[in-house]
Amino acid sequence: MDDLNALRALGDDLGHEPPPALARQRQRLLDAASGGARRRAARWRPGGWAVIGVAAAVTAALILVPTVLLRGGDDTPTTSHRALGGTGAAMNLLVIGSDERVSTRRFTSEPPRSDTLALVRVSADRRQVQMVALPRDLMVPMSCHGDQGEPVKAVFAQLNAAFTLGGAACSAKTVESLSGVRIDHTVTVGFAGFERMVDALGSVEIVLPKPVDDPLSGLRLPAGRHRVEGRVALAYVRMRYGLTDGSDLERIKRQQVFLTSMAKEAKAARTGNPVGFARFVKAVAESVEIRPGLDRGTLEALAATVDPDGISYLALPVRPYRLDPNRLELRQPAARELFAQLR
Amino acid sequence: MVSAMTPPLAGARTPGVPPRRSGSGEPDASAPDAELISRSYGDPEAFAALFDRYSAMLYRYVSRRLGPEVAEDLVGETFLVAFDRRRRYDLAQQDARPWLFGIVTKLVARHHRSEAARYRALRRSPVGETVESPDDEVAAMVSATAVRPLLAEALAALPRRDRDALLLFAWGDLSYEEVAQALGIPVGTVRSRLNRARRKVRAALGDANPLSREEG
Repeated sequence: MDDLNALRALGDDLGHEPPPALARQRQRLLDAASGGARRRAARWRPGGWAVIGVAAAVTAALILVPTVLLRGGDDTPTTSHRALGGTGAAMNLLVIGSDERVSTRRFTSEPPRSDTLALVRVSADRRQVQMVALPRDLMVPMSCHGDQGEPVKAVFAQLNAAFTLGGAACSAKTVESLSGVRIDHTVTVGFAGFERMVDALGSVEIVLPKPVDDPLSGLRLPAGRHRVEGRVALAYVRMRYGLTDGSDLERIKRQQVFLTSMAKEAKAARTGNPVGFARFVKAVAESVEIRPGLDRGTLEALAATVDPDGISYLALPVRPYRLDPNRLELRQPAARELFAQLR
Repeated sequence: MVSAMTPPLAGARTPGVPPRRSGSGEPDASAPDAELISRSYGDPEAFAALFDRYSAMLYRYVSRRLGPEVAEDLVGETFLVAFDRRRRYDLAQQDARPWLFGIVTKLVARHHRSEAARYRALRRSPVGETVESPDDEVAAMVSATAVRPLLAEALAALPRRDRDALLLFAWGDLSYEEVAQALGIPVGTVRSRLNRARRKVRAALGDANPLSREEG
């Protein structure tokens, strides 16, 4: 008998079939994948802005913010903030894609998490937008007061912990000391309102170049134009593999097109469908929070001139964190040089 | 112990595409391994699809070398290590099996004493469990059972590196190139380790097994 056959027979003899208990090891992996059971007991739920993408959060902010805060022609500015507003100066925004609705934050059992963070610089003429996505597992020093002013100990933690610790203000303070860039406004965009925004408008048009049957996102539609309601719209902007090979750029583009289309729909509803528009504004208002608020002039300028397709994306230089290769840290001096462009 | 009737490990398969599995409903069933890994950069939980694909295969392999007691935990650890290193995975490699077996091999090495003890224990194991089987397989079975103690002794005596190469090839069903990838060594080195290991195994068998003399 051949030595290899003999070896294989021995192997079959010695081997065991995997027991059902092997599933425990799968859970162990999932715990690690969800950001570490070491850090928190609750499992990170896939969904929210992390799935949709940081570019979509920024686009949503730039499109939805003016829409909602103009409040259908109401002349009263939400907050007067002359020092920073207007069109006279460049403006730095910290866009925070939060995984839940802003307005109910304090009443939910799980702490809110910032799924995505982006530093956005809008030029003085409002025509150029630069965006740096800040990875949520970037390790940074933070020292903040809580939402209610309670002191929080200085810690070295991953960036998205700042939002959980002290809300948007803590995120802004952390990013400011990390980058040296002054944050003029934080724009927190909640995720849960997305479906309701679309549903408030009735539906939003999408165009499919080819039929889609994507089990990952749950989208199944023939090619052509469709008017879709919220649930389908969500599947559409999330979808990565249904239309292409999974290119992220294609998806970002698709999300921008969708949000632009939604903004157009909202403009039309403003005159044609006042009830729907009111519901839309309410859904957005519950999903977007700007601190400090922006005055009407700035919002109008943003709405009129910012072109979401014209956003330039800058990559933040990072490397694996030396104490935990699962986390990231800034790569210097490249990171400092990048931030200097935004000052 | 599993019956000696257990079919051979795996047949021909396309690299990087999952073997047939009984469980269905997994949405990632057709994505190459490299794609799952790159997807896991943005969506860490996508990595679990690799577990679904390969944990059973790795479990069988480890249970052969170290027994079922160690295998479960070691397979779990393999995927944790793999997950930690996923950003260093070469995405040009569609098939993640060599990479995973490479990690397994390092983890198995920590248990090399108990592995050798396990093989040595087989030298004393009883010969000749009666197994019902089709007639044409009986001869092979009998001889497989008869040579088991000799084979086990030969395995126990092999240098660890030669044994790793041999068992990745014979029990892990990796090709020469895949063994080379798994161990991070040139293919030529794999070839020489395998030749050396097989020579020793053949020598051990040749003493007792007349059938082995059939091949030159």
